[in-house]
Amino acid sequence: MKVRRFTARRLVIELILFLLVLVVAIPFYMIVIDSFKNQREAAQFGLGFPTVVQISNYVDVLQSGGILVGYMNSVIVAGFSLALVSMCAALAAFSIQRNGTRLTNAIYYIFVVGLVIPVAIVPTIRLMMSLHVHNTYVGMILFYSAVLLPFAVFLLTGYLKTLPRELDESAGLDGCRPIHVFWAIILPLMQPALVTACLLTIMTIWNDFLGPFYLLSDSSKWTVTVTVFAYIGKFNTNWGSVFADITIVILPILILYFLLQRYIVEGMTAGALKG
Amino acid sequence: MRRSFIRYPLVFIAPAFVIYLVFFIVPNIAGMYYSFTDLSTYSDKVTFIGFDNFARLIREGFLVTAIRNTFIYAVCVTVFVNILGMSLALLLNEAPVLGNVYRTAFFTPYVIAPLIVGYLFTAIYQPEVGILNRALRSVGMGALAADWLNDPQIALFSIIMTELWRSSGFAMVIYLAGLKTIPRDLLDQASVDGAGYMTRFRRITFPLLAPSFTVTVLLMLINSLKVFETVLVLTNGGPGWVTEVFNTFIYRNFARGNWGYATSASLTLSIVIAVVAVVFLRLLRRREVEV
Repeated sequence: MKVRRFTARRLVIELILFLLVLVVAIPFYMIVIDSFKNQREAAQFGLGFPTVVQISNYVDVLQSGGILVGYMNSVIVAGFSLALVSMCAALAAFSIQRNGTRLTNAIYYIFVVGLVIPVAIVPTIRLMMSLHVHNTYVGMILFYSAVLLPFAVFLLTGYLKTLPRELDESAGLDGCRPIHVFWAIILPLMQPALVTACLLTIMTIWNDFLGPFYLLSDSSKWTVTVTVFAYIGKFNTNWGSVFADITIVILPILILYFLLQRYIVEGMTAGALKG
Repeated sequence: MRRSFIRYPLVFIAPAFVIYLVFFIVPNIAGMYYSFTDLSTYSDKVTFIGFDNFARLIREGFLVTAIRNTFIYAVCVTVFVNILGMSLALLLNEAPVLGNVYRTAFFTPYVIAPLIVGYLFTAIYQPEVGILNRALRSVGMGALAADWLNDPQIALFSIIMTELWRSSGFAMVIYLAGLKTIPRDLLDQASVDGAGYMTRFRRITFPLLAPSFTVTVLLMLINSLKVFETVLVLTNGGPGWVTEVFNTFIYRNFARGNWGYATSASLTLSIVIAVVAVVFLRLLRRREVEV
Protein backbone atom coordinates (compact mmCIF):
# COMPACT_ATOMS: atom_id res chain seq x y z
CA MET A 1 0.00 0.00 0.00
CA LYS A 2 1.04 3.51 -0.67
CA VAL A 3 1.91 5.64 2.28
CA ARG A 4 -0.19 8.80 2.51
CA ARG A 5 2.22 11.62 1.83
CA PHE A 6 1.59 15.14 3.02
CA THR A 7 2.70 17.06 -0.01
CA ALA A 8 1.83 20.62 -0.93
CA ARG A 9 -0.87 19.27 -3.24
CA ARG A 10 -2.56 17.45 -0.38
CA LEU A 11 -2.46 20.57 1.73
CA VAL A 12 -4.14 22.63 -0.99
CA ILE A 13 -6.90 20.02 -1.36
CA GLU A 14 -7.54 19.99 2.39
CA LEU A 15 -7.63 23.77 2.46
CA ILE A 16 -10.08 24.07 -0.45
CA LEU A 17 -12.38 21.49 1.11
CA PHE A 18 -12.26 23.19 4.47
CA LEU A 19 -13.21 26.55 2.95
CA LEU A 20 -16.05 24.95 0.98
CA VAL A 21 -17.40 23.31 4.12
CA LEU A 22 -17.54 26.76 5.71
CA VAL A 23 -19.74 27.92 2.81
CA VAL A 24 -22.21 25.18 3.72
CA ALA A 25 -21.86 25.39 7.49
CA ILE A 26 -21.97 29.15 8.12
CA PRO A 27 -25.58 29.65 6.93
CA PHE A 28 -26.73 26.85 9.25
CA TYR A 29 -24.72 28.32 12.09
CA MET A 30 -26.31 31.70 11.38
CA ILE A 31 -29.83 30.24 11.62
CA VAL A 32 -29.17 28.70 15.01
CA ILE A 33 -27.17 31.51 16.61
CA ASP A 34 -29.54 34.28 15.44
CA SER A 35 -32.58 32.38 16.68
CA PHE A 36 -31.42 33.21 20.24
CA LYS A 37 -31.11 36.95 19.60
CA ASN A 38 -33.63 39.73 20.12
CA GLN A 39 -35.35 41.35 17.16
CA ARG A 40 -32.87 44.22 16.70
CA GLU A 41 -29.78 42.06 17.02
CA ALA A 42 -31.11 39.25 14.81
CA ALA A 43 -31.80 41.73 12.00
CA GLN A 44 -28.06 42.43 11.85
CA PHE A 45 -27.43 38.78 10.83
CA GLY A 46 -24.25 38.81 12.91
CA LEU A 47 -22.27 35.65 13.47
CA GLY A 48 -21.24 36.58 17.02
CA PHE A 49 -22.87 35.19 20.13
CA PRO A 50 -26.02 36.96 21.29
CA THR A 51 -25.38 39.65 23.91
CA VAL A 52 -28.19 38.11 25.91
CA VAL A 53 -29.14 34.51 25.12
CA GLN A 54 -32.90 34.48 25.04
CA ILE A 55 -35.35 31.76 24.17
CA SER A 56 -38.33 34.07 23.77
CA ASN A 57 -38.27 33.51 20.00
CA TYR A 58 -38.92 29.82 20.54
CA VAL A 59 -41.67 30.60 23.04
CA ASP A 60 -43.29 32.95 20.51
CA VAL A 61 -43.12 30.39 17.74
CA LEU A 62 -44.60 27.64 19.85
CA GLN A 63 -47.30 29.92 21.23
CA SER A 64 -48.40 30.98 17.75
CA GLY A 65 -49.57 27.38 17.53
CA GLY A 66 -49.30 26.68 13.82
CA ILE A 67 -46.09 24.76 14.06
CA LEU A 68 -47.36 22.14 16.52
CA VAL A 69 -50.40 21.47 14.34
CA GLY A 70 -48.05 21.31 11.36
CA TYR A 71 -45.83 18.80 13.12
CA MET A 72 -48.80 16.60 13.92
CA ASN A 73 -50.23 16.83 10.39
CA SER A 74 -46.88 16.00 8.81
CA VAL A 75 -46.42 12.99 11.07
CA ILE A 76 -49.93 11.69 10.34
CA VAL A 77 -49.71 12.18 6.58
CA ALA A 78 -46.13 10.89 6.34
CA GLY A 79 -46.85 7.88 8.56
CA PHE A 80 -49.83 6.59 6.60
CA SER A 81 -48.31 7.41 3.20
CA LEU A 82 -45.19 5.55 4.25
CA ALA A 83 -47.10 2.39 5.08
CA LEU A 84 -49.21 2.58 1.95
CA VAL A 85 -46.35 3.39 -0.41
CA SER A 86 -43.94 0.77 0.89
CA MET A 87 -46.45 -2.10 0.95
CA CYS A 88 -48.02 -1.33 -2.43
CA ALA A 89 -44.69 -0.63 -4.09
CA ALA A 90 -43.04 -3.78 -2.73
CA LEU A 91 -45.91 -5.97 -3.96
CA ALA A 92 -45.98 -4.28 -7.35
CA ALA A 93 -42.20 -4.38 -7.80
CA PHE A 94 -42.18 -8.09 -6.92
CA SER A 95 -44.73 -8.94 -9.60
CA ILE A 96 -43.27 -6.53 -12.18
CA GLN A 97 -39.69 -7.73 -11.83
CA ARG A 98 -40.41 -11.47 -11.51
CA ASN A 99 -42.90 -11.61 -14.37
CA GLY A 100 -40.86 -9.47 -16.74
CA THR A 101 -43.43 -9.81 -19.51
CA ARG A 102 -44.29 -7.19 -22.07
CA LEU A 103 -47.35 -6.19 -20.03
CA THR A 104 -45.48 -5.73 -16.75
CA ASN A 105 -42.70 -3.83 -18.49
CA ALA A 106 -45.31 -1.50 -19.96
CA ILE A 107 -46.75 -0.96 -16.50
CA TYR A 108 -43.25 -0.26 -15.20
CA TYR A 109 -42.75 2.43 -17.83
CA ILE A 110 -46.12 3.98 -16.99
CA PHE A 111 -44.81 4.32 -13.43
CA VAL A 112 -41.55 5.85 -14.71
CA VAL A 113 -43.55 8.60 -16.44
CA GLY A 114 -44.56 9.74 -12.96
CA LEU A 115 -40.90 10.37 -12.11
CA VAL A 116 -40.69 13.00 -14.81
CA ILE A 117 -44.08 14.68 -15.30
CA PRO A 118 -45.18 17.25 -12.70
CA VAL A 119 -48.43 16.97 -10.75
CA ALA A 120 -51.57 18.38 -12.40
CA ILE A 121 -52.79 20.64 -9.61
CA VAL A 122 -56.16 21.97 -10.72
CA PRO A 123 -57.56 18.60 -11.86
CA THR A 124 -56.31 17.01 -8.62
CA ILE A 125 -58.26 19.58 -6.59
CA ARG A 126 -61.39 18.95 -8.68
CA LEU A 127 -60.95 15.19 -8.31
CA MET A 128 -60.54 15.46 -4.54
CA MET A 129 -63.66 17.63 -4.30
CA SER A 130 -65.73 15.17 -6.28
CA LEU A 131 -64.45 12.26 -4.16
CA HIS A 132 -65.11 14.31 -0.99
CA VAL A 133 -61.51 13.97 0.20
CA HIS A 134 -60.52 17.62 -0.38
CA ASN A 135 -58.95 19.14 2.77
CA THR A 136 -58.76 15.73 4.47
CA TYR A 137 -55.88 13.54 5.63
CA VAL A 138 -57.15 10.75 3.40
CA GLY A 139 -56.89 13.02 0.37
CA MET A 140 -53.36 14.09 1.16
CA ILE A 141 -52.24 10.53 1.91
CA LEU A 142 -53.61 9.29 -1.42
CA PHE A 143 -52.09 12.26 -3.24
CA TYR A 144 -48.63 11.65 -1.78
CA SER A 145 -48.90 7.92 -2.35
CA ALA A 146 -49.62 8.50 -6.02
CA VAL A 147 -46.72 10.97 -6.32
CA LEU A 148 -44.20 8.82 -4.43
CA LEU A 149 -45.14 5.35 -5.72
CA PRO A 150 -43.22 5.75 -9.01
CA PHE A 151 -39.91 6.28 -7.24
CA ALA A 152 -40.54 3.46 -4.75
CA VAL A 153 -41.53 1.03 -7.51
CA PHE A 154 -38.49 2.09 -9.51
CA LEU A 155 -36.11 1.68 -6.55
CA LEU A 156 -37.52 -1.66 -5.39
CA THR A 157 -37.71 -3.15 -8.90
CA GLY A 158 -34.04 -2.29 -9.33
CA TYR A 159 -33.21 -3.86 -5.99
CA LEU A 160 -35.14 -7.07 -6.75
CA LYS A 161 -32.89 -7.69 -9.75
CA THR A 162 -30.11 -8.34 -7.24
CA LEU A 163 -32.17 -11.04 -5.49
CA PRO A 164 -31.96 -14.25 -7.59
CA ARG A 165 -35.13 -16.16 -8.40
CA GLU A 166 -33.72 -19.28 -6.76
CA LEU A 167 -34.41 -17.58 -3.45
CA ASP A 168 -38.13 -17.68 -4.15
CA GLU A 169 -37.93 -21.47 -4.17
CA SER A 170 -35.36 -21.76 -1.41
CA ALA A 171 -37.73 -22.59 1.41
CA GLY A 172 -39.19 -25.53 -0.47
CA LEU A 173 -42.42 -23.69 -0.79
CA ASP A 174 -43.29 -25.07 -4.23
CA GLY A 175 -46.97 -24.77 -4.88
CA CYS A 176 -47.52 -22.59 -1.89
CA ARG A 177 -49.35 -19.31 -2.13
CA PRO A 178 -47.43 -16.47 -3.84
CA ILE A 179 -48.33 -14.03 -1.09
CA HIS A 180 -46.57 -16.33 1.35
CA VAL A 181 -43.38 -16.39 -0.74
CA PHE A 182 -43.52 -12.60 -0.83
CA TRP A 183 -44.18 -12.21 2.87
CA ALA A 184 -41.79 -14.87 4.20
CA ILE A 185 -38.85 -14.58 1.82
CA ILE A 186 -38.83 -11.50 -0.38
CA LEU A 187 -40.05 -8.79 1.98
CA PRO A 188 -37.38 -9.45 4.64
CA LEU A 189 -34.66 -9.49 1.97
CA MET A 190 -35.86 -6.18 0.54
CA GLN A 191 -35.37 -4.47 3.88
CA PRO A 192 -32.43 -2.19 2.95
CA ALA A 193 -34.21 -0.81 -0.11
CA LEU A 194 -37.45 -0.50 1.85
CA VAL A 195 -35.73 1.54 4.55
CA THR A 196 -34.42 3.87 1.86
CA ALA A 197 -37.83 4.19 0.22
CA CYS A 198 -39.41 4.97 3.60
CA LEU A 199 -36.81 7.57 4.51
CA LEU A 200 -37.19 9.34 1.17
CA THR A 201 -40.98 9.28 1.59
CA ILE A 202 -40.74 10.91 5.02
CA MET A 203 -38.28 13.54 3.85
CA THR A 204 -40.20 14.39 0.70
CA ILE A 205 -43.47 14.85 2.59
CA TRP A 206 -41.83 16.83 5.39
CA ASN A 207 -40.14 19.19 2.92
CA ASP A 208 -42.89 19.44 0.31
CA PHE A 209 -44.53 22.79 -0.10
CA LEU A 210 -46.22 22.83 -3.50
CA GLY A 211 -48.67 19.98 -2.79
CA PRO A 212 -50.25 21.14 0.48
CA PHE A 213 -49.95 24.81 -0.53
CA TYR A 214 -52.27 24.24 -3.48
CA LEU A 215 -54.36 21.34 -2.24
CA LEU A 216 -55.17 22.40 1.33
CA SER A 217 -57.25 25.51 1.83
CA ASP A 218 -57.99 24.45 5.42
CA SER A 219 -55.12 25.71 7.59
CA SER A 220 -55.81 23.12 10.30
CA LYS A 221 -54.53 20.41 7.91
CA TRP A 222 -51.36 22.23 6.80
CA THR A 223 -48.15 20.25 6.93
CA VAL A 224 -45.13 21.73 8.61
CA THR A 225 -43.46 23.43 5.62
CA VAL A 226 -46.64 25.32 4.77
CA THR A 227 -46.84 26.55 8.37
CA VAL A 228 -43.35 28.04 7.91
CA PHE A 229 -44.62 29.95 4.88
CA ALA A 230 -47.67 31.16 6.78
CA TYR A 231 -45.68 32.08 9.88
CA ILE A 232 -43.05 34.04 8.01
CA GLY A 233 -45.73 35.76 5.93
CA LYS A 234 -47.19 37.03 9.19
CA PHE A 235 -44.09 37.69 11.33
CA ASN A 236 -41.44 38.45 8.74
CA THR A 237 -40.28 41.55 10.60
CA ASN A 238 -38.66 39.50 13.34
CA TRP A 239 -35.79 37.43 11.94
CA GLY A 240 -35.07 36.01 15.39
CA SER A 241 -38.38 34.18 15.49
CA VAL A 242 -38.18 33.32 11.79
CA PHE A 243 -34.91 31.53 12.46
CA ALA A 244 -36.37 29.86 15.56
CA ASP A 245 -39.27 28.58 13.44
CA ILE A 246 -36.86 27.30 10.79
CA THR A 247 -34.67 25.60 13.40
CA ILE A 248 -37.61 23.69 14.85
CA VAL A 249 -38.69 22.55 11.39
CA ILE A 250 -35.31 21.42 10.04
CA LEU A 251 -34.12 19.75 13.25
CA PRO A 252 -35.91 16.39 12.82
CA ILE A 253 -34.81 16.12 9.19
CA LEU A 254 -31.20 16.87 10.10
CA ILE A 255 -31.23 14.31 12.91
CA LEU A 256 -32.72 11.71 10.58
CA TYR A 257 -30.09 12.52 7.97
CA PHE A 258 -27.12 12.44 10.31
CA LEU A 259 -28.20 9.14 11.87
CA LEU A 260 -29.26 7.30 8.72
CA GLN A 261 -27.31 9.04 5.96
CA ARG A 262 -25.90 5.74 4.71
CA TYR A 263 -29.38 4.60 3.66
CA ILE A 264 -30.40 7.97 2.31
CA VAL A 265 -27.32 8.72 0.24
CA GLU A 266 -26.70 5.19 -1.00
CA GLY A 267 -30.38 4.75 -1.78
CA MET A 268 -30.52 7.94 -3.81
CA THR A 269 -27.40 7.11 -5.80
CA ALA A 270 -28.29 3.44 -6.33
CA GLY A 271 -31.76 4.38 -7.48
CA ALA A 272 -30.42 7.08 -9.76
CA LEU A 273 -27.67 5.03 -11.37
CA LYS A 274 -29.80 2.00 -12.08
CA GLY A 275 -32.12 4.09 -14.23
CA MET B 1 -32.89 -28.20 -12.31
CA ARG B 2 -36.43 -28.45 -11.26
CA ARG B 3 -38.97 -26.21 -12.87
CA SER B 4 -40.34 -23.46 -10.70
CA PHE B 5 -44.00 -23.65 -9.87
CA ILE B 6 -44.10 -20.27 -8.22
CA ARG B 7 -46.50 -17.84 -9.82
CA TYR B 8 -46.27 -14.08 -9.57
CA PRO B 9 -49.87 -12.84 -9.75
CA LEU B 10 -50.49 -9.64 -11.65
CA VAL B 11 -53.02 -8.65 -9.01
CA PHE B 12 -50.05 -7.71 -6.77
CA ILE B 13 -49.54 -4.70 -9.02
CA ALA B 14 -53.16 -3.58 -8.65
CA PRO B 15 -53.11 -1.57 -5.39
CA ALA B 16 -50.13 0.55 -6.45
CA PHE B 17 -51.39 0.95 -9.98
CA VAL B 18 -54.91 1.94 -9.00
CA ILE B 19 -53.73 4.66 -6.58
CA TYR B 20 -51.26 5.96 -9.14
CA LEU B 21 -53.81 5.83 -11.94
CA VAL B 22 -56.59 7.61 -10.06
CA PHE B 23 -54.52 10.29 -8.32
CA PHE B 24 -51.78 10.95 -10.85
CA ILE B 25 -52.60 9.75 -14.38
CA VAL B 26 -56.29 10.69 -14.36
CA PRO B 27 -55.64 14.29 -13.16
CA ASN B 28 -52.96 14.66 -15.82
CA ILE B 29 -55.31 13.51 -18.54
CA ALA B 30 -58.12 15.68 -17.15
CA GLY B 31 -55.64 18.56 -17.26
CA MET B 32 -55.43 18.17 -21.02
CA TYR B 33 -59.17 18.73 -21.20
CA TYR B 34 -59.27 21.64 -18.71
CA SER B 35 -56.56 23.39 -20.72
CA PHE B 36 -59.11 23.91 -23.46
CA THR B 37 -61.80 25.30 -21.15
CA ASP B 38 -62.54 28.54 -19.33
CA LEU B 39 -62.68 26.79 -15.94
CA SER B 40 -62.49 29.39 -13.18
CA THR B 41 -63.44 29.97 -9.58
CA TYR B 42 -65.97 32.62 -10.67
CA SER B 43 -68.50 30.37 -12.35
CA ASP B 44 -69.62 26.78 -12.13
CA LYS B 45 -70.07 26.54 -15.87
CA VAL B 46 -67.18 25.05 -17.83
CA THR B 47 -67.11 25.93 -21.52
CA PHE B 48 -64.88 24.44 -24.15
CA ILE B 49 -62.96 27.30 -25.75
CA GLY B 50 -60.50 25.52 -28.05
CA PHE B 51 -57.02 26.96 -28.24
CA ASP B 52 -58.00 30.33 -26.69
CA ASN B 53 -55.90 29.73 -23.54
CA PHE B 54 -52.82 28.89 -25.57
CA ALA B 55 -53.35 31.85 -27.89
CA ARG B 56 -53.62 34.06 -24.81
CA LEU B 57 -50.44 32.59 -23.33
CA ILE B 58 -48.55 33.62 -26.43
CA ARG B 59 -50.36 36.95 -26.90
CA GLU B 60 -49.75 38.17 -23.35
CA GLY B 61 -46.07 37.43 -23.70
CA PHE B 62 -45.73 35.94 -20.24
CA LEU B 63 -45.24 32.47 -21.61
CA VAL B 64 -42.23 33.63 -23.63
CA THR B 65 -40.77 35.37 -20.57
CA ALA B 66 -41.41 32.36 -18.35
CA ILE B 67 -39.94 29.93 -20.88
CA ARG B 68 -36.86 32.08 -21.38
CA ASN B 69 -36.20 32.53 -17.65
CA THR B 70 -36.94 28.90 -16.83
CA PHE B 71 -34.53 27.73 -19.52
CA ILE B 72 -31.75 30.14 -18.51
CA TYR B 73 -32.19 28.95 -14.95
CA ALA B 74 -32.31 25.24 -15.86
CA VAL B 75 -29.30 25.34 -18.18
CA CYS B 76 -27.11 27.35 -15.79
CA VAL B 77 -28.07 25.21 -12.80
CA THR B 78 -27.47 21.96 -14.71
CA VAL B 79 -24.08 23.06 -16.06
CA PHE B 80 -22.71 24.49 -12.82
CA VAL B 81 -24.15 21.86 -10.50
CA ASN B 82 -22.41 19.24 -12.64
CA ILE B 83 -19.12 21.11 -12.66
CA LEU B 84 -19.23 21.75 -8.91
CA GLY B 85 -20.50 18.28 -8.06
CA MET B 86 -17.86 16.58 -10.15
CA SER B 87 -15.12 18.80 -8.70
CA LEU B 88 -16.23 18.03 -5.15
CA ALA B 89 -16.31 14.30 -5.93
CA LEU B 90 -12.81 14.42 -7.43
CA LEU B 91 -11.50 16.33 -4.41
CA LEU B 92 -13.08 13.82 -2.01
CA ASN B 93 -11.70 10.98 -4.10
CA GLU B 94 -8.22 12.12 -3.08
CA ALA B 95 -8.99 10.65 0.37
CA PRO B 96 -8.74 13.82 2.46
CA VAL B 97 -8.33 13.44 6.22
CA LEU B 98 -11.95 14.35 7.03
CA GLY B 99 -13.47 12.77 3.91
CA ASN B 100 -16.67 11.51 5.51
CA VAL B 101 -17.29 14.74 7.38
CA TYR B 102 -16.93 16.70 4.16
CA ARG B 103 -19.23 14.38 2.28
CA THR B 104 -21.89 14.59 4.99
CA ALA B 105 -21.62 18.38 5.11
CA PHE B 106 -21.84 18.97 1.35
CA PHE B 107 -25.01 16.90 1.06
CA THR B 108 -26.76 18.56 4.01
CA PRO B 109 -28.34 21.49 2.09
CA TYR B 110 -30.10 18.98 -0.14
CA VAL B 111 -32.14 17.48 2.72
CA ILE B 112 -33.64 20.86 3.71
CA ALA B 113 -36.91 22.07 2.18
CA PRO B 114 -36.27 24.38 -0.82
CA LEU B 115 -38.75 26.81 0.74
CA ILE B 116 -36.51 27.15 3.80
CA VAL B 117 -33.39 27.49 1.67
CA GLY B 118 -35.21 30.37 -0.01
CA TYR B 119 -35.80 32.16 3.31
CA LEU B 120 -32.22 31.48 4.35
CA PHE B 121 -30.87 33.16 1.23
CA THR B 122 -33.26 36.08 1.60
CA ALA B 123 -31.27 36.78 4.77
CA ILE B 124 -27.89 36.03 3.18
CA TYR B 125 -28.56 38.32 0.20
CA GLN B 126 -29.74 41.23 2.36
CA PRO B 127 -27.87 44.22 0.82
CA GLU B 128 -26.64 46.11 3.92
CA VAL B 129 -25.99 43.48 6.57
CA GLY B 130 -26.42 40.14 4.76
CA ILE B 131 -23.44 37.86 5.26
CA LEU B 132 -22.63 37.62 1.54
CA ASN B 133 -22.03 41.35 1.10
CA ARG B 134 -20.25 41.57 4.46
CA ALA B 135 -17.96 38.69 3.50
CA LEU B 136 -17.18 40.35 0.17
CA ARG B 137 -16.38 43.67 1.87
CA SER B 138 -14.22 42.02 4.50
CA VAL B 139 -11.96 40.40 1.90
CA GLY B 140 -11.61 43.66 -0.04
CA MET B 141 -14.06 42.79 -2.80
CA GLY B 142 -16.67 45.30 -1.67
CA ALA B 143 -17.05 46.40 -5.29
CA LEU B 144 -18.80 43.08 -5.96
CA ALA B 145 -21.33 43.62 -3.19
CA ALA B 146 -24.77 44.08 -4.72
CA ASP B 147 -28.48 44.25 -4.08
CA TRP B 148 -28.72 40.62 -5.12
CA LEU B 149 -32.48 40.25 -5.34
CA ASN B 150 -33.65 43.70 -6.39
CA ASP B 151 -31.20 44.41 -9.18
CA PRO B 152 -32.90 43.17 -12.38
CA GLN B 153 -29.50 42.43 -13.93
CA ILE B 154 -28.54 39.82 -11.37
CA ALA B 155 -31.74 38.64 -9.61
CA LEU B 156 -32.01 35.47 -11.72
CA PHE B 157 -28.32 34.80 -11.21
CA SER B 158 -28.81 35.05 -7.42
CA ILE B 159 -31.57 32.44 -7.58
CA ILE B 160 -29.27 30.20 -9.62
CA MET B 161 -26.51 30.57 -6.99
CA THR B 162 -28.99 29.52 -4.30
CA GLU B 163 -29.72 26.32 -6.18
CA LEU B 164 -25.99 25.64 -6.66
CA TRP B 165 -25.56 25.84 -2.89
CA ARG B 166 -28.44 23.42 -2.43
CA SER B 167 -27.86 20.82 -5.14
CA SER B 168 -24.10 20.53 -5.72
CA GLY B 169 -23.83 17.99 -2.91
CA PHE B 170 -26.43 15.82 -4.61
CA ALA B 171 -24.43 15.74 -7.85
CA MET B 172 -21.35 15.03 -5.75
CA VAL B 173 -22.72 11.81 -4.25
CA ILE B 174 -23.77 10.51 -7.67
CA TYR B 175 -20.30 11.23 -9.07
CA LEU B 176 -18.68 9.64 -6.01
CA ALA B 177 -20.68 6.47 -6.67
CA GLY B 178 -19.51 6.61 -10.29
CA LEU B 179 -15.87 7.10 -9.29
CA LYS B 180 -16.02 3.98 -7.13
CA THR B 181 -16.73 1.86 -10.22
CA ILE B 182 -13.51 2.96 -11.95
CA PRO B 183 -10.84 0.30 -11.42
CA ARG B 184 -7.77 1.60 -9.57
CA ASP B 185 -5.46 -0.56 -11.72
CA LEU B 186 -6.50 1.29 -14.84
CA LEU B 187 -5.51 4.64 -13.37
CA ASP B 188 -2.32 3.26 -11.82
CA GLN B 189 -1.31 1.67 -15.11
CA ALA B 190 -1.92 4.92 -17.00
CA SER B 191 0.12 6.70 -14.36
CA VAL B 192 3.00 4.23 -14.83
CA ASP B 193 2.77 4.83 -18.57
CA GLY B 194 3.43 8.48 -17.89
CA ALA B 195 -0.09 9.97 -18.15
CA GLY B 196 -0.48 13.12 -16.04
CA TYR B 197 -3.53 13.94 -13.92
CA MET B 198 -5.32 15.87 -16.67
CA THR B 199 -4.68 13.18 -19.27
CA ARG B 200 -5.96 10.49 -16.94
CA PHE B 201 -9.05 12.57 -16.23
CA ARG B 202 -9.75 13.25 -19.91
CA ARG B 203 -9.05 9.76 -21.19
CA ILE B 204 -10.21 7.53 -18.34
CA THR B 205 -12.11 9.15 -15.49
CA PHE B 206 -14.44 11.43 -17.44
CA PRO B 207 -15.49 8.87 -20.09
CA LEU B 208 -16.11 6.25 -17.40
CA LEU B 209 -18.25 8.72 -15.46
CA ALA B 210 -20.70 8.83 -18.40
CA PRO B 211 -23.55 7.04 -16.54
CA SER B 212 -23.29 9.43 -13.57
CA PHE B 213 -23.15 12.34 -16.01
CA THR B 214 -26.33 11.18 -17.77
CA VAL B 215 -28.23 10.79 -14.51
CA THR B 216 -27.14 14.08 -13.00
CA VAL B 217 -27.77 16.13 -16.14
CA LEU B 218 -31.19 14.58 -16.62
CA LEU B 219 -32.32 14.91 -13.00
CA MET B 220 -31.05 18.48 -12.68
CA LEU B 221 -32.73 19.53 -15.93
CA ILE B 222 -36.08 17.99 -15.00
CA ASN B 223 -36.02 19.33 -11.44
CA SER B 224 -34.92 22.83 -12.35
CA LEU B 225 -37.65 23.17 -14.98
CA LYS B 226 -40.04 22.56 -12.06
CA VAL B 227 -38.44 25.25 -9.84
CA PHE B 228 -40.97 27.04 -7.64
CA GLU B 229 -40.35 27.64 -3.94
CA THR B 230 -36.99 29.39 -4.11
CA VAL B 231 -38.26 31.83 -6.75
CA LEU B 232 -41.52 32.41 -4.89
CA VAL B 233 -39.70 33.29 -1.69
CA LEU B 234 -36.66 35.12 -3.05
CA THR B 235 -38.21 37.37 -5.70
CA ASN B 236 -41.75 36.17 -6.45
CA GLY B 237 -40.94 36.61 -10.12
CA GLY B 238 -39.73 40.19 -9.72
CA PRO B 239 -38.33 42.75 -10.02
CA GLY B 240 -40.75 43.34 -12.88
CA TRP B 241 -40.96 39.92 -14.50
CA VAL B 242 -37.24 39.22 -14.82
CA THR B 243 -37.33 36.10 -12.67
CA GLU B 244 -40.81 34.87 -13.61
CA VAL B 245 -40.68 31.11 -14.21
CA PHE B 246 -43.32 28.58 -15.25
CA ASN B 247 -44.43 27.70 -11.77
CA THR B 248 -44.69 31.26 -10.44
CA PHE B 249 -46.72 32.16 -13.52
CA ILE B 250 -49.00 29.17 -12.94
CA TYR B 251 -49.42 30.11 -9.28
CA ARG B 252 -50.27 33.74 -10.10
CA ASN B 253 -53.07 32.67 -12.41
CA PHE B 254 -54.25 29.95 -10.05
CA ALA B 255 -54.51 32.52 -7.25
CA ARG B 256 -56.49 34.85 -9.52
CA GLY B 257 -58.97 32.05 -10.12
CA ASN B 258 -58.10 31.50 -13.80
CA TRP B 259 -57.89 27.74 -13.39
CA GLY B 260 -58.30 26.79 -17.04
CA TYR B 261 -55.64 29.26 -18.07
CA ALA B 262 -53.29 28.09 -15.29
CA THR B 263 -53.83 24.49 -16.37
CA SER B 264 -52.92 25.28 -19.96
CA ALA B 265 -49.62 26.76 -18.72
CA SER B 266 -49.14 23.69 -16.55
CA LEU B 267 -49.75 21.39 -19.54
CA THR B 268 -47.21 23.37 -21.55
CA LEU B 269 -44.66 22.82 -18.78
CA SER B 270 -45.37 19.07 -18.73
CA ILE B 271 -44.88 18.86 -22.49
CA VAL B 272 -41.63 20.85 -22.29
CA ILE B 273 -40.30 18.58 -19.55
CA ALA B 274 -41.30 15.40 -21.39
CA VAL B 275 -39.62 16.58 -24.60
CA VAL B 276 -36.44 17.67 -22.80
CA ALA B 277 -36.28 14.38 -20.88
CA VAL B 278 -36.69 12.19 -23.96
CA VAL B 279 -34.29 14.20 -26.13
CA PHE B 280 -31.55 14.34 -23.50
CA LEU B 281 -31.90 10.69 -22.53
CA ARG B 282 -31.39 9.73 -26.19
CA LEU B 283 -28.42 12.07 -26.65
CA LEU B 284 -26.66 11.11 -23.44
CA ARG B 285 -27.27 7.38 -23.72
CA ARG B 286 -25.78 7.39 -27.22
CA ARG B 287 -22.68 9.07 -25.84
CA GLU B 288 -22.39 6.34 -23.17
CA VAL B 289 -22.45 3.57 -25.78
CA GLU B 290 -19.78 5.22 -27.87
CA VAL B 291 -17.16 5.52 -25.12
